[in-house]
Amino acid sequence: MSLPSVADSVQPAGATVGSGPPEEATRRTAGGDVFRAVAHNRKALAGVGLLLGFVVLALIPGQIAPDDPRAKIYTPGLGPSWHHLFGTTAYGEDVFSQLVWGTRQSLLIAVLVGGLATVIGVVVGVSAGYLGGTTDGILSLITDVILVIPIFPLIIVIAAYERNSGFFTLVIVLGLLGWSYGARQLRSQTLSLRTRDFLEAARVRGERKSYVIVKEILPTMTSLIVASFLGAAVYAVLFAAGLQFIGLGDPNSQSWGTMLYWAENNEALGAGMTYWAIMPGVFVALLGAAFALLNYAFDEISSPALRLRKLETTGVDAEQETAVPIRPPDEKNILEVRDLSVAYASDHGPVVAVDRVSFELGRGEFLGIVGESACGKSTLVYAIARLLGAPLAGEITGGQVFFKGRDMVTLADKELRHIRWRDYSVVMQSAMNALNPVLTVADQMRDACEAHSTMSKREIEQRSKEVLRLVSIDPVHLHSYPHQLSGGMRQRAMIAMALLFTPELIVMDEPTSALDVVGQRSLMVQIKELQERLGFAVIFVTHDMSLVRHFSDRLLVMYAAQVAELGLTRQVFAKPLHPYTTGLLEAFPSIHGPKEHLLGIPGQPPDLLRLPPGCRFAPRCPHVADRCRVERPALYRVNGELVRCFLHEQAEEPVAVSTEGVA
Amino acid sequence: MSEPLLRAEGLTRHFRVGKLLSSQKLHAVDDVLFELGRGEIVALVGESGSGKSTIARLIARVYRPTAGEIFFEGRPVSALRTRRQRLAYASDVAMVFQDPYSSINPAYRVTHPIRRGVVLHRRDVPRSKRQEEVVESLASVGLLPAAQVAAKFPHELSGGQRQRVGFASALVVKPKLIVADEPVSMLDVSIRIGVLNLMSELREREGVSFLYITHDVASARYVADRVLVLYAGHLVEEGPTEDVIQRPKHPYTQLLLSAVPDPRAPLGVSDAADVGEPPKVIDPKEGCRFRARCPLAIDRCETETPRLRPVGRGRLAACHVAQAD
Repeated sequence: MSLPSVADSVQPAGATVGSGPPEEATRRTAGGDVFRAVAHNRKALAGVGLLLGFVVLALIPGQIAPDDPRAKIYTPGLGPSWHHLFGTTAYGEDVFSQLVWGTRQSLLIAVLVGGLATVIGVVVGVSAGYLGGTTDGILSLITDVILVIPIFPLIIVIAAYERNSGFFTLVIVLGLLGWSYGARQLRSQTLSLRTRDFLEAARVRGERKSYVIVKEILPTMTSLIVASFLGAAVYAVLFAAGLQFIGLGDPNSQSWGTMLYWAENNEALGAGMTYWAIMPGVFVALLGAAFALLNYAFDEISSPALRLRKLETTGVDAEQETAVPIRPPDEKNILEVRDLSVAYASDHGPVVAVDRVSFELGRGEFLGIVGESACGKSTLVYAIARLLGAPLAGEITGGQVFFKGRDMVTLADKELRHIRWRDYSVVMQSAMNALNPVLTVADQMRDACEAHSTMSKREIEQRSKEVLRLVSIDPVHLHSYPHQLSGGMRQRAMIAMALLFTPELIVMDEPTSALDVVGQRSLMVQIKELQERLGFAVIFVTHDMSLVRHFSDRLLVMYAAQVAELGLTRQVFAKPLHPYTTGLLEAFPSIHGPKEHLLGIPGQPPDLLRLPPGCRFAPRCPHVADRCRVERPALYRVNGELVRCFLHEQAEEPVAVSTEGVA
Repeated sequence: MSEPLLRAEGLTRHFRVGKLLSSQKLHAVDDVLFELGRGEIVALVGESGSGKSTIARLIARVYRPTAGEIFFEGRPVSALRTRRQRLAYASDVAMVFQDPYSSINPAYRVTHPIRRGVVLHRRDVPRSKRQEEVVESLASVGLLPAAQVAAKFPHELSGGQRQRVGFASALVVKPKLIVADEPVSMLDVSIRIGVLNLMSELREREGVSFLYITHDVASARYVADRVLVLYAGHLVEEGPTEDVIQRPKHPYTQLLLSAVPDPRAPLGVSDAADVGEPPKVIDPKEGCRFRARCPLAIDRCETETPRLRPVGRGRLAACHVAQAD
């Protein structure tokens, strides 16, 4: 499953090829992963434990139950005792023994019905989703019809017809009626897969349709298939017990449902044989719970987004705690970020995604933040905007963020809500994900206005039209839904929303990277014009240096969670100091001058969990020296710029802006 | 002149759009004619919505043309009937996709598509040698150490590495043509060059032709011999890359050139915000499709669709205003 694109930018690149630790450690097996995941999930452990218990009961009832469940050898209606754990029935049978012997049938029904329903559901759902057209029409119709059939009455009718055929009729009827819910889910999942490139790739490669369905689609849906099996199993256990309770099926079979039937017939509750009446229900509930727990657990394991990992801050960065006297922020700066660190939890321990980053932003200033995927640039701005959580995980582990003189890090959520959007706003990477698809642009603007101001309906309408005009969108689009707008228009609409309250700072996270070159360029020109006209400050995050070339005042180059270089844009472009910056600049083929062979930046950013011991850029650096591999460079100040590279150590002494570099 | 590797004639693809009973037609590709030589890298340049991905899928036989024909080595592609013929074509023409995050099945190791390519198209490789072949092809696209990369799952690789896997699975079937649909647009700028270099290298080493689809003219200049510019389903300009970039004839090509991401470029005059986008061409009338965005449009552009005409040596442009050399 692919992650949302924003989240990609902080995920560690996985095991680094070539430069990593021994590969054996990173090689994984699917089986091992599942085992580990189950062992770490409480719901899964409880579910597996319960289910194993029932499996044991079903396999060796003779060893566990003291008596033959049908032996009517005791005094009828005994209460619970050491000898009869749950008492005896009105016929003098041991209740506990009956429960144990009844497990087998319930479990068998669950497994058989679950299996049957899943097979039908998979075949119908996946064929409908993949083949589409008329096939889909017919199959979906059948699915929907089955879904709305009132199952219980129908089963009663069918089971009554087949009164004495018992077990297998029950399994087949339940199976034939229980697949539709799973089929619908599998169909919609298949539909969403249909446009995925790997299926198209398989077709272009020349694979047959049957191969694509069985070997390409099914393996990606394991979690749904398991869920559909477990769901059907729960349904089967409950329905079977219910049917047997009302006397359908074979009343002489050994099952929890028939126990309920006989208990009811003998008015067990009134006659003091409480456990006879209650315990079968409890067992049904426990078996149902076992399947349901497994279902939940499987959901959590297969979609990590549902799992809440707790960040263990101990040992993340002890150095942070050394108290630095806090300077008051400078009046002329709208934003001052000091030694900001952010970490998030991963399966392999805490990952420091932003490592002691400091910078200042003047009022009306335009700062570009550039770097490759996973360098921490998105995490940095999300932390500044106090938006960490979903989709970008992370916690601020140290530092301060002064926005208009107040420390955002310590601000309570209530106060944050007050200034967010009014004083600063955020434009996300993908407008398609950030805009709500079922609301019109007008609705979304109204929601924002109502949440953050006391404007009247007319004022809101007025203001919405105004901001749309600002970004050159005809106000007729105010009542359009996001999907009716083109990609460029959606991005501009997002910027319009950010402008609703004329904020003093707008944070933009790659707002143009989903657009074509022409759209990118025109959007940048527009952002710059607006900024000059309205005077807000901008933090602009991108991986594309060319975008900020003419528009930003200053440039912050990030590499592997740290500041690599920070300086005036003009100066950085004219004379880049860090080899990484040079590499970023030289990664562009040009349409000017003679054609040159370019190399880009070979290799890839380091895994933040396995940082190189020296300079983080050393493995990819064309100027690497022995020292770079063992010693960490500090930030050096050269001609008013900051750069983290030993090449510039001699130029001036290290800056005392941060507590780092001591290591 | 010898037979080109691939020739498209009057290639047209329409899609029905709108509600169930509407007969509106989206003209994704209209009457496109071009050739592709052996060992040639041709860039197909245009914005999203210009029809370039549709052309890629027509060539890869994902779509069938509404009209027109594609000839591969002189034989019409629509005449492929048997599974054997279609497999042979699939082995001659491979494709690399835009999104490296969705083009490899996440349920398998990264070698899955490569291995399937070997199973389907390389009958000469015995079962016991397959893994060797797969690992070799990983190495040939620069994924080293190949044996270790082969054991990984897609999520363990970066975008650039995944895109290399895409090239490896295209290459392993020994194709004569690789259709690369925006192979770098979703990658970080810093690693794009590596993938572009890989294309030139594969052309040199394996003699394979490329149809390189992109919206970035500068990357087209970097790898391609010839460039085709597409706007709203029409081919609007064609010629040797260097020539087209130095002296663009069509006003749309000029717009594309002004938008090229180049950190060293001066801020041009033409950067005045052009907020236009390629129109969705639904049941079009006569007339130039670029006219609404065109700074040079004249009355004739409203009434008459410009045809491609020669505007210099090896140069074609579809514009009433463009001057020939």
